[in-house]
Amino acid sequence: MFRQLAAVALVLCLCGGIPVGAVAQSNGGTQSVEPWQREFDEICGPTHDAMTFTPDELASLIARCDALLPKLQKLDDTRRKVFTNRLQMCRGLYAYVLESKKSEKK
Amino acid sequence: MPTYSNRRRARRSKPGALLALAFALLCLDAAAAAQIYLPPPPPKDPADYGRVVLDQYSASGPGGVVFDHWLHRSKFTCRLCHVDIGFAMKAKATEIRAEANRQGFYCGACHNGKRQFEGKTIFASCSNEPATAECFRCHSLGKTDVRRYQYAKFIAKLPRDIYGVDWMRAEESGHIHPVDVLEGISIRKKPMQLRPDFSIQAKLDWVHPITFSHERHSVWNGCELCHPEIFPAKREGTRVTMFSNLEHRHCGACHGSVAFPFNHCQGCHPLAPRWAP
Repeated sequence: MFRQLAAVALVLCLCGGIPVGAVAQSNGGTQSVEPWQREFDEICGPTHDAMTFTPDELASLIARCDALLPKLQKLDDTRRKVFTNRLQMCRGLYAYVLESKKSEKK
Repeated sequence: MPTYSNRRRARRSKPGALLALAFALLCLDAAAAAQIYLPPPPPKDPADYGRVVLDQYSASGPGGVVFDHWLHRSKFTCRLCHVDIGFAMKAKATEIRAEANRQGFYCGACHNGKRQFEGKTIFASCSNEPATAECFRCHSLGKTDVRRYQYAKFIAKLPRDIYGVDWMRAEESGHIHPVDVLEGISIRKKPMQLRPDFSIQAKLDWVHPITFSHERHSVWNGCELCHPEIFPAKREGTRVTMFSNLEHRHCGACHGSVAFPFNHCQGCHPLAPRWAP
């Protein structure tokens, strides 16, 4: 019985039905995640590692920030304010690191 | 009969007046300069230091909110509240409304009557019910004996410095463990690659060098709280001076209002003389 349950659980995990490991979700995994929020988490999740990214990776993250912003601006009042500010902080940091890397090269 | 041109000539022939004017301007300039070189104002009493009053929207209801940083900073990193939850770095800039708290934003991110912390349920903020004693724990402006925590009692066991609590030592010694992740609000991240501390040589010979605790600042603030808003890229010419700090820019974005005050010279300039503010 236990083996059967374990097998079912494994299949579910492999299919993505059960989240495993550390999932970068700003809703803590307790609610369904909207696409904009998943994208937000993916973009702003690695701010700690900003210094390790290549200029191309940073430019790509900045472009993703710019693409996400219009979607956040459609959210309700407080959510829009909070997440827009958070996104701008991420974008600002990536742009700052990119700028620093460019000036280091010169 | 004095004509207009005569009067102009007469004025021009009074070099004394011009000299007096120049002297007056010089005196004004010197006075302004003297004012600039005055030391920073003495900080408030440690119990009131870092206090923020929020009374934009609650004055007609339960009254203004008095937020003391010392209580929350002992439990949470600056980053958690100012990045993840979204509190602005300037007082009243967040424009918090009760409805937003009820929806789980700002104070309501933790104060929702459900979240557990240190084995207790955190009380809910801003219910639709008539005001109770619980409301006045935050809406305490102008009220006495309504706060749950008293500064003197709260900091009694924490290490002190020349001015109030030495928060860095409090953390190093294990007295406090500021939380950096809030379930449901924060994005789970890998541990940060800490930035090393560095020394900054002041431009003026008589100013002692600065030891910047980049590591501690990174842990408490993350990267995005300081860069680029407070400290922009080098190309934009960040010139940190005591004047810019006193104008609440650069280090003065936190120090002088919430983090230790400028009178605590040794906090940044370890070789500076020690005196009580």
